[in-house]
Amino acid sequence: MTDLLLPPMTPPALMRTWTGREPASAVRMRAAELPGMVALPVRAIDPALPQPIWASDASLGPTDDGEVRRTTRARLHDADWSRITPGSTVDLIANPHGFFLCGLAYVAMLEETQRHLVATRDCTVRLRVAESMGHIENPDWMRIFDLPGRFGDAKECPQIGRGVEIDTRVGPFWLTRDLFTADHFVHTHVAEMREGYLHRMIDRLHKPFGMGYTRLETRSAYHFGWGPRTGQLVARAVFESDFVQQRYAGTVVLDTTPEGVIGVDADVDLDELNDRVSAGVLRHYGTLMRLMAEIDDVIVVFDGHGCHMYSYAGGVAFDCLMYAQVDFLDLDNLALLKGFASKVPATPGLTMEFNPAIKAQIMNYMSGGVPYTMMTRRLPTWLVDGPAAEWMMDDPSSPWLAERAAIAPDLAAAVAAARAQTGTDHVIVFDSLAGALHVSEPLGRLLLERAPAVAAHVRDTALPKWLAQRRLH
Amino acid sequence: MTKVVRMVAEILAGNCTGCALCVYVCPTVALTLRDRRPDEAGTHRRIAELAEADCYNAQNCMEICPDEAIVMHHLAEPFTVGTDVATADADAVRALCRSAGIGSKQLICMCAETTGGELAAAVLAGAHTPEAISLATGARTGCTELCHQPIIQLLAAAGHGDLPRNPPRGFQWYGLAARALDLVADDGTVAPELVEAYSQYPLVSDLRAMRGDFSEFEPAEVADD
Repeated sequence: MTDLLLPPMTPPALMRTWTGREPASAVRMRAAELPGMVALPVRAIDPALPQPIWASDASLGPTDDGEVRRTTRARLHDADWSRITPGSTVDLIANPHGFFLCGLAYVAMLEETQRHLVATRDCTVRLRVAESMGHIENPDWMRIFDLPGRFGDAKECPQIGRGVEIDTRVGPFWLTRDLFTADHFVHTHVAEMREGYLHRMIDRLHKPFGMGYTRLETRSAYHFGWGPRTGQLVARAVFESDFVQQRYAGTVVLDTTPEGVIGVDADVDLDELNDRVSAGVLRHYGTLMRLMAEIDDVIVVFDGHGCHMYSYAGGVAFDCLMYAQVDFLDLDNLALLKGFASKVPATPGLTMEFNPAIKAQIMNYMSGGVPYTMMTRRLPTWLVDGPAAEWMMDDPSSPWLAERAAIAPDLAAAVAAARAQTGTDHVIVFDSLAGALHVSEPLGRLLLERAPAVAAHVRDTALPKWLAQRRLH
Repeated sequence: MTKVVRMVAEILAGNCTGCALCVYVCPTVALTLRDRRPDEAGTHRRIAELAEADCYNAQNCMEICPDEAIVMHHLAEPFTVGTDVATADADAVRALCRSAGIGSKQLICMCAETTGGELAAAVLAGAHTPEAISLATGARTGCTELCHQPIIQLLAAAGHGDLPRNPPRGFQWYGLAARALDLVADDGTVAPELVEAYSQYPLVSDLRAMRGDFSEFEPAEVADD
């Protein structure tokens, strides 16, 4: 082991889900405990990352929320909240990804925002959590963080709930009504690289207006009705609609790197805020994302909350590996997502498909709610015998899993079977650990070997192009 | 493909308040309200009732229920639902898919793995509402989200786009959301003011690609579907 490859770290604990399931007692062994696993710190890949002001692990940065609170207060003080009239009601809109990725730092940002607005605008602030696919298998954030106790009026608002139709410049869309019943709302976000293959880092901070705050109709249209680089136009059109602008009061965002939180920013001007944050996101996530393309063969182990493409390793979502064969941040690339297109080009490289470097997948534990079983048609898949396997097979979004996945008696046997079938000793674990990748030692060595060249390419070639394409600096 | 249904919903009478939210979100309209019988637990006059054969394990009811009155239980024998595209006229299937702007072999419901052709076959066989399509194919009963728009597009293309909601106050679906291709005029152009308003997006380029014209990227043959 080189001095840059460390012994495995403790992955984030598995938490009680909304349906009352207890994965911590259903999973007998975490993947980080497998023989031969190492922790590859993200900082070893990209030493230029700024230091976090909050991290989920003490070895990466402060785990108390003091600096997040102080910075939030300062940014809130500097922002203009005059759209909020005294005596009015305000919906403070949160999202489950914030709780999932940034835990108490996100809670702290929300609490400081509520306090500041109540104190300075003499308003009533209610917490509204915009739920998404997989809600019922998410950790039970309302109870885990005692959101009703902290915020008073706190409510989860699923995307299947009652909608409200709005007119936009490009046509009608439907939003989740319960998120927009107050006089005003405050938009919150976490600036990480989830679903980059969809938003393409255009109007990144606007994305919930095209997805998270919307009903089923709008979300489906975003996927099927818009082009590979214009999906976010839905988000912008909704944000600029009269309905939203009449209620919008401002935005507060946690700025992140793959290690944790590096800052807080707030502004009523979402475009200005987006420009300030987006350049950093490209700078701080780009190297790790492009490094994923250096992996030629790998076994993926899912071992945490998040469902399939929304599972995280080293602070980036599985979709960064799943579509790594195309640099979808380069807007010159069409990167047409084959699954959502009725017509596809015959020329290789123009479409984005499931990364052929992924040779097998093992699901030790994974939330449900998001379809992925079409990939199991060709991808060898193992479950680990026990309650978690039963939960995954019962997932309404994955009805064919039971027929296509093999059941291994334990996690080590699943990995051994996958290694024997695929012939690779490269293993990567998506266990929600931020700041470091849990990988097999041979994969760790490969990534370390390739990282300097990838970092140089991103710094000198890719990043300047990505920034110029988005008029960022 | 077909959907394998392993679980169905169960109403816990003592917890049900008859609020009807579960009725409003079920993609197969498997739930209704009726008067509570004297021998049933609970105090509210109305109670939800499930038509078990129409429950395809979407779990929207369980998610929306504010009173923990719905649980899922395993079926003794799982069953499958689906529509075989081979049972429909192939030309009619292709024509309907083309009219709706979806591929006949394109995967539309990622959960049940239902293709555009299978959905079109269901429409041609008489499924003229989203819920009827769901009952015939199993589509829209997993995540209930991703395939929503193409199904409404198919119904609209088949002349069933102006449907009354079922149930009337329900919201398992609302309607057809805006699409990029709607921005293309009959002469194939996009209004300059839209191009200008969304100048950060390669709108014209993407619209060409969505219509199958990839010449900007690589002069190559286009493979339909």
